[in-house]
Amino acid sequence: MGKNSVAIIGRSRLAEELFRLSREKGLDAALHPDAGGIAAPVSLAVETYAADEEEKKAIVKKLDAVLPSGAVLLSSCLASPTTRLASWTGRPERVVGFATFYPIQGKKVIELGAGLRTEEGAIREAEKFFQALGKETARVKDGAGLIFPRILSLIINEAARSLDEGVAEAEAIDVAMRLGVNYPMGPLRWADQIGLDEVLAVLEGLQRETGEDRYRPAPLLRKMVLAGWLGESAGKGFYTYEGESQNAK
Amino acid sequence: MTSANVKIGVVGAGTMGSGIAQISAQAGFETVVYDVSQEFIDKGLERIRASLQRFAARGKITAEEERRILARLTGALKLDGLSASALVIEAAPEQLDLKREIFKKLDAICAPETLLATNTSSFSVTAIAAATRLPERVLGMHFFNPPPLMALVEVIRAERTSPAVVERGLALARQLGKTPVTAKDTPGFIVNRIARSFYNEALRILSDDQAEVLTVDRVMKEAGGFPMGPFELMDLIGIDINFAATQSLYEASFHDPRFRPNPIQQRMLLAGNLGRKTGRGFYNYGQK
Repeated sequence: MGKNSVAIIGRSRLAEELFRLSREKGLDAALHPDAGGIAAPVSLAVETYAADEEEKKAIVKKLDAVLPSGAVLLSSCLASPTTRLASWTGRPERVVGFATFYPIQGKKVIELGAGLRTEEGAIREAEKFFQALGKETARVKDGAGLIFPRILSLIINEAARSLDEGVAEAEAIDVAMRLGVNYPMGPLRWADQIGLDEVLAVLEGLQRETGEDRYRPAPLLRKMVLAGWLGESAGKGFYTYEGESQNAK
Repeated sequence: MTSANVKIGVVGAGTMGSGIAQISAQAGFETVVYDVSQEFIDKGLERIRASLQRFAARGKITAEEERRILARLTGALKLDGLSASALVIEAAPEQLDLKREIFKKLDAICAPETLLATNTSSFSVTAIAAATRLPERVLGMHFFNPPPLMALVEVIRAERTSPAVVERGLALARQLGKTPVTAKDTPGFIVNRIARSFYNEALRILSDDQAEVLTVDRVMKEAGGFPMGPFELMDLIGIDINFAATQSLYEASFHDPRFRPNPIQQRMLLAGNLGRKTGRGFYNYGQK
């Protein structure tokens, strides 16, 4: 690998998509299922894990240990603010958070959040990476889930609560939000596409960071994650998916 | 059942009432619109005429259809004028006592088979139905603004609404050319409840100074794929209307913190910065 090589770490669909897109755009990129397989030199590592916090911490710590000292760690801050991610490393100046949901295809803008100790040069490198993928970036203040994932997770949470309380059927909720307020997808169908574990992680992260009840995850959402009903990727979420079909059953 | 021999009554000739009357007449129903003064009725009919002309100008309807639609519409200054309706849809101002009074009268003058629907977005349909002797025939039919363009109708089952009435309400909504969904009579029903997060969390992000208005709107559109950002949408809806919807959900949920209104919105309301209609909201639209 060359001097400006990018390491993408994770087994998620987002990691795979970032890897495919990086290659398509001619970047010197490699996909690593975990932090173990990285060979120096890497100038930028993109880490996409966003569910269990202990696991996330272990991945970030391991990456910090294997990456060259100046390399930028671009880490998903869906569930933890960048400052928290950075606190697990010996390179807080080089840690930049990004927050987006799968898929990034069709998304024009990617949000970046700098931690309190993140240096300008590291943010610039993160911006350059996404620009190379044909994306614009938006800088926002550090926080779990930044803006779009945070707002959408709350919408999904309220939809899950409404379903659990028997206010309406899943299909009715999705139709209502598409036709009543022109949402591009119904929130429950959207959650299935993203992965319920990631939505839950954003809500848990917000609740942990703020201590506020407004972020309390819907019991149904938590139960579905525990049951392994994560959405499309698992074949079952709020809807059932068969084979490669993306259609709700 | 064809629409030709079915009458629909609409209470209120305001924005929602005239819009509902318009789709009713467009769907072929003889439609009677009630309001308290001839001036309000005339204004409502004028709004319908203007809307139909826009449809005609875009080639959506012919001049002949426009004429026939208008011929199906009549005004009434007495609620009695709605007594022969198969369905009455109430779209009076959002005041519970007023709505209960209207339903009490409708209940007395309409045949027992007449469906009585309220277009309320902020009150319990059950509380309105309780003003009648036959709450089984009372339901919510919640249309979206502007009714001629928005496809959704939330058909609300109140505590005592009969299943047959819900079915009939669904069928009539389809005949009106709409896509109905059913929901239980709970605060905000489906849309107003779930959409609260879109506005409230954006306001929270703003009050935490996590991002600017422009950034939030840009991200929600270009990362999220929403057709409008939360702040430009609040400006379009009106800060007063949006704030009132949040407040009513907050009250109805016994102050659940998820629905707590944001002081930013209250300050804008107090300042008279109500969005596009006053020329100033989260954005500036020039003097008005």
